[in-house]
Amino acid sequence: MRISNRLMTRVGSAALMAALSVSAGVAMAQDGPLRGNIRVVIGSTSTGGDTYQNSTIVVDQLAERLDLNMKVDAVGASSAFRTLDRDSRGNTLMIFHDQSYLGHLYGVEGYDDIFEKYTVGPTLAINPGNAYLVPKDSPYQTLDDIIAAVGNGETVRVAIQPGGVSEIGFSALKNAIAIEHPGQEDNLVAVNTGSQSDKNQQLFDGQADVINGTVQANEQYTRLPEDDQKAMRFVWLTARQDTIEQAPEEGLGQTSREQLLEYVEPNVHVTMGDDESFTFDKEFFFLYNKDMDPAIVEQIDEALTDIYAEGEIQETQKNAFFIPNFKPSDEASEYLADKMARYEEIISNIK
Amino acid sequence: MEFLSLLDITFFLLAGFGALVGIIFGAIPGMTATMAVAVCLPLTYALGLHHGLALLLGLYVGGISGGMVPAVLLNIPGTPSSITTTFDGYPMAQKGEGEKALKICVIASVVGGLISAAILFLFAPLLADFSIKFSYVEKFLIILLALSVIASLSSSMLIGIFSGVIGIWLSLIGDYSISDGGNGKTRLMFDFMEPYLFEGFSLLPVLIGVFGISTILLEAEKGAKSGLVNERIKISKGGGFSLSIFNGRLTNLVRSSFIGTFVGMLPGVGGSAASVLAYTQEKNLTRDSSQMGKGAPQGLIASESANNALTGGALIPLLSLGIPGDSTTAVLIGAFTLQGIQVGPLFIPENTETWYVMMTALVFANIVMFFLMFYAIKYIAKVVMVPKHILFPIIVMMCVVGAYAINYGIMFDVWTLLIFGILGYLVQKIGLEVAPLIIGFILGSQAEVYFVKSLESFGTFSIFFTKSPIAMVLWGLIVASVMFAIVMGFKSRARQKMELTQVTGSTRTASGKGHETDND
Repeated sequence: MRISNRLMTRVGSAALMAALSVSAGVAMAQDGPLRGNIRVVIGSTSTGGDTYQNSTIVVDQLAERLDLNMKVDAVGASSAFRTLDRDSRGNTLMIFHDQSYLGHLYGVEGYDDIFEKYTVGPTLAINPGNAYLVPKDSPYQTLDDIIAAVGNGETVRVAIQPGGVSEIGFSALKNAIAIEHPGQEDNLVAVNTGSQSDKNQQLFDGQADVINGTVQANEQYTRLPEDDQKAMRFVWLTARQDTIEQAPEEGLGQTSREQLLEYVEPNVHVTMGDDESFTFDKEFFFLYNKDMDPAIVEQIDEALTDIYAEGEIQETQKNAFFIPNFKPSDEASEYLADKMARYEEIISNIK
Repeated sequence: MEFLSLLDITFFLLAGFGALVGIIFGAIPGMTATMAVAVCLPLTYALGLHHGLALLLGLYVGGISGGMVPAVLLNIPGTPSSITTTFDGYPMAQKGEGEKALKICVIASVVGGLISAAILFLFAPLLADFSIKFSYVEKFLIILLALSVIASLSSSMLIGIFSGVIGIWLSLIGDYSISDGGNGKTRLMFDFMEPYLFEGFSLLPVLIGVFGISTILLEAEKGAKSGLVNERIKISKGGGFSLSIFNGRLTNLVRSSFIGTFVGMLPGVGGSAASVLAYTQEKNLTRDSSQMGKGAPQGLIASESANNALTGGALIPLLSLGIPGDSTTAVLIGAFTLQGIQVGPLFIPENTETWYVMMTALVFANIVMFFLMFYAIKYIAKVVMVPKHILFPIIVMMCVVGAYAINYGIMFDVWTLLIFGILGYLVQKIGLEVAPLIIGFILGSQAEVYFVKSLESFGTFSIFFTKSPIAMVLWGLIVASVMFAIVMGFKSRARQKMELTQVTGSTRTASGKGHETDND
């Protein structure tokens, strides 16, 4: 009996030691303030869209670096904001893009001022693909043609999704027309639609003269022969020249970077007054619950700094036609607040 | 034939495994094909594009097919597109013909799936060009045509239409979404409801509530005395299954498959419309539709062949326009973007290998689905043999889990389940009809969006009649469908009257003979 007791004690203590060392290991893996399962909600419901794609790239790397279980959930803007509101522990994070503050500027229901209500986290990447297109057989060859036509009293209809990224280029164009041809800006008419397929359909139906689209979704349409009802042509990419210059040389699909550069400033000029050109880069960034532990903000900033320093993520992002653009939280918050102020002016000008 | 080198054992195993998991997802109320594909989407990173596609297409085909199981056996549509399967499937299961009903469904499904795959393979770019001729106006009319089934579906047309209108009204609660080009403002609710109802009631919890929970409540009211769901019924009763059921129904099978493919290829019209439309057309065009809704195989054939034909149809705009045809293909598109492959009008000519690989996976998944289900049905159908007091709590639990999971963990969806369970129960108690109500709910919000958008785009009501020859044809079909329902309504009323007079007559005679017929 004595032997077996001793044996039991030994086995017991060995098991305890093993358990302790295992739990120490687990604790070491999750010794940061961020722990448990992390859900990253995004402001889009689409798993085929750029927000999901970019978030997946970043979250995969982050999960590996922090040794945490992290998952991207495409729940859509209003659900994402509400989910983020509910969780201050840091187990719910959000990734979204400029829509988050543009929605507020346009007065869309469900969008609050992100700078007041949330903590703005680091920026991650730019999608340089925001574009405007016309049918291939359109009489308008360039954006200047469109501005001139509207200036001459012609009605030009632009299909957009109201209240955000899709509308900001339209607003800037309207603002530019108001500056160059005062009083004529109302000839530029917004056709409110939803998804990309709806916008394309408006063009096919002849219900819109110009549509908002993206390089990614519309590039193949620009390579169709002119007699195809579906054929389109880019007239404007809203991204900065700098941004497109960072894209891979081969561009996207069979449209090279060189060709894409033809549709950005200074080749295409949309004035904001004072010789300044309007540009818009769609940027992705983190949003956090305001009451979340600041140590978590710091932890994610540090992890991302390390990830971006290694350089692998940049390659993945560029291959997916994203332009890497990491800025830690403080810098990002200030930068985005400035960006918002710029666009606030345009939107209030044309109201 | 270079693509053959891409097909290895793993490829086929993944497609088959996908079909199996998909069937399980589809069979659990609340879990859908879309969810199955979304959950497995990140796996495409590890698997590579072609293996990933094999898995996802397997899940897609399996998920759509699996919905028939709870629809037939438990009166709960496992997926929204199997709602019309409940109309005839459940009555058949109640008559003890569950196994037969499921076998009919499986055959209809595989035929629908394969016909649509063939159409996809042969005509994808051509059909994509045709599909863009459907603008808001035509899409509205398609939905209106599907809604016209309400008139012929109900036993009393007036009550049916009233129920349908309530369904539409319920579907309009919530915001007119910005992503549909609306203003994002909420309506039909008080301010305090906004946090819960901003996006309206979710479709699936409503569906499971109205069908599943209310059925259970009705059963609970009767008490659990009888023990089994269908105590006295042997499952294989009804003479078993033979292929001869399909005799004379080939037209229905092929027509419904075409309707499914066609609705699938119209982006934004959605899966549920496919089976509803096929069901309507069968009801209108068949010689004898009197048994439909009471357990007629032809209803199952229409519903299941159409909803599986959706798979090929929804891939048409995805692969030839870059636009997903339904919610599942909208997730599927993620597999391409994650791999950095553009889908658009040039996808097929520029990615022929991937295109052939996809077709192989689609056809193979359909075949695997067929064998898995056809031979497993014998065992699956035994579900109805489980005693009620064990079966019902399990169903309720699955419904709750499914409702909670559908939007990734929204508790209000569980309350929706309960609200609509009770509503479904009350609706049946006061004599309204559930099927028109739910069809109104499913199609109402889409009808609204396309109606408003048509008016916004064209600015006049007359456009609904004059937009295009397609619109005129659709009006013809709508009018025919409604007229048919009215004529059928009169006929059945006349028949009932005649039967009634005969019955009263014979009762009188019988009572005169001194209760001799009492033992009948």
